[in-house]
Amino acid sequence: MTTAYLIQFAVSAVAVALIVGLAAWATHARVSLALDESTARALLAEEFPGLDIDAIWLGTDGKGAIAKSGDRAFVVGRTGLGYVVRQVPWVRAMIAGVKDGRLRISLSDVAAPSATIAIAVWPPREFTT
Amino acid sequence: MKAFDPVALATPFFILTVILEIVLARFGKLKATYETSDTAVSLAMGLVSSAAGLLTAGASFAAAMWIYQHRAFSIPITAIWAWVVVFLLEDMTYYWFHRLSHERRFWWAAHVNHHSSQHYNLSTALRQTWTGGVAGTWALWLPLSFLGFPPAMVAIQKGVSLVYQYWIHTEAIRRLPKPIEAVFNTPSHHRVHHARNPRYLDRNYAGILIIWDRMFGTFQAELDAEACRYGLVHNLGTFNILRVAFHEWIGMAQDIVRQPRYVLGWLFGPPGWSPDGSRVTSARLRAEWLARQTKPQEALTHEAGVG
Repeated sequence: MTTAYLIQFAVSAVAVALIVGLAAWATHARVSLALDESTARALLAEEFPGLDIDAIWLGTDGKGAIAKSGDRAFVVGRTGLGYVVRQVPWVRAMIAGVKDGRLRISLSDVAAPSATIAIAVWPPREFTT
Repeated sequence: MKAFDPVALATPFFILTVILEIVLARFGKLKATYETSDTAVSLAMGLVSSAAGLLTAGASFAAAMWIYQHRAFSIPITAIWAWVVVFLLEDMTYYWFHRLSHERRFWWAAHVNHHSSQHYNLSTALRQTWTGGVAGTWALWLPLSFLGFPPAMVAIQKGVSLVYQYWIHTEAIRRLPKPIEAVFNTPSHHRVHHARNPRYLDRNYAGILIIWDRMFGTFQAELDAEACRYGLVHNLGTFNILRVAFHEWIGMAQDIVRQPRYVLGWLFGPPGWSPDGSRVTSARLRAEWLARQTKPQEALTHEAGVG
């Protein structure tokens, strides 16, 4: 590794920091729209076309949703400005814990380890009798 | 090694144009979506990629030099015709490298991070692999050295191709004049390549010339009626750079450990392959999408008593 390369690497690292700061300034005022039911259904249909949804619960902060389809749970979670959708067994969703009004579901996926949805009461009452 | 490095020379241009795109987009002068965490991941991936590349650069260059010593012809680096030929052959090699990187999981594991942003801007171009060298795809360029192109000449042409592909990662340029769109890879063609819509999956693998996609049946034009949705079929739920860089390698290793008898399928099957078909490949996604498109049409035709 030459000195010239190390200098180039260091200058590039400084440039990266500056650009990230600039991106933060440029995106500061951007607000993501809250996730409503039709958007959540559209996101689910995009990734799982033809999905027959039995019920859907929206996060109170508009940043996530969880849907039931047969024995599967379909989780919609926000990552940055975008959304990520994953499916897990419904029984796993049922036993997920709520802490401080947030439901945290393990997705068992190294690319999306877990999702957090603002739902105060879980599991839904109709499934707790 | 090589004295002329197009990528190193272009680095200030990369930095300035990303800044320009961010600022102009901020003031509504052009179309570009930037997100802080996403931009940080893209640029850090690019920065570390340049260092990671050094780890295997010596081995790959030594292999090229050894092959070159056993070359079939001696091609002069100073001849213009030689540069024209290496331009075409290197670009075709890139096409097949890129296609392999999408169609076989082992190489997809190294390439997937380049597609992991849900945005499409100049910083996305710099979201480069850390593991491309160890994945060994550099071997695809060795036949050029065997033909007699000096390894330095091949390395320079690879650099030129990488620099060319930088500027096409933008939404700011809609369409270029038709003759250019017909021959060259353009922002429009490459937006399709980065899209996750079933229609657009695994299309437009070109480096500089789009003619290879047209020749080998993988070309898809960008349609005004279908906007590109960027990212992966199943997008990442994290900005953790280590997960971005290694998630597919880890997923592949987990699959092999769980079902070792299918090791070849897990390694060299298409991304999304699984022994029981419980996962979906790009080909299946496209086929299912196509079936959904044609079904209503067939039903309508039947109702109308036609055909």
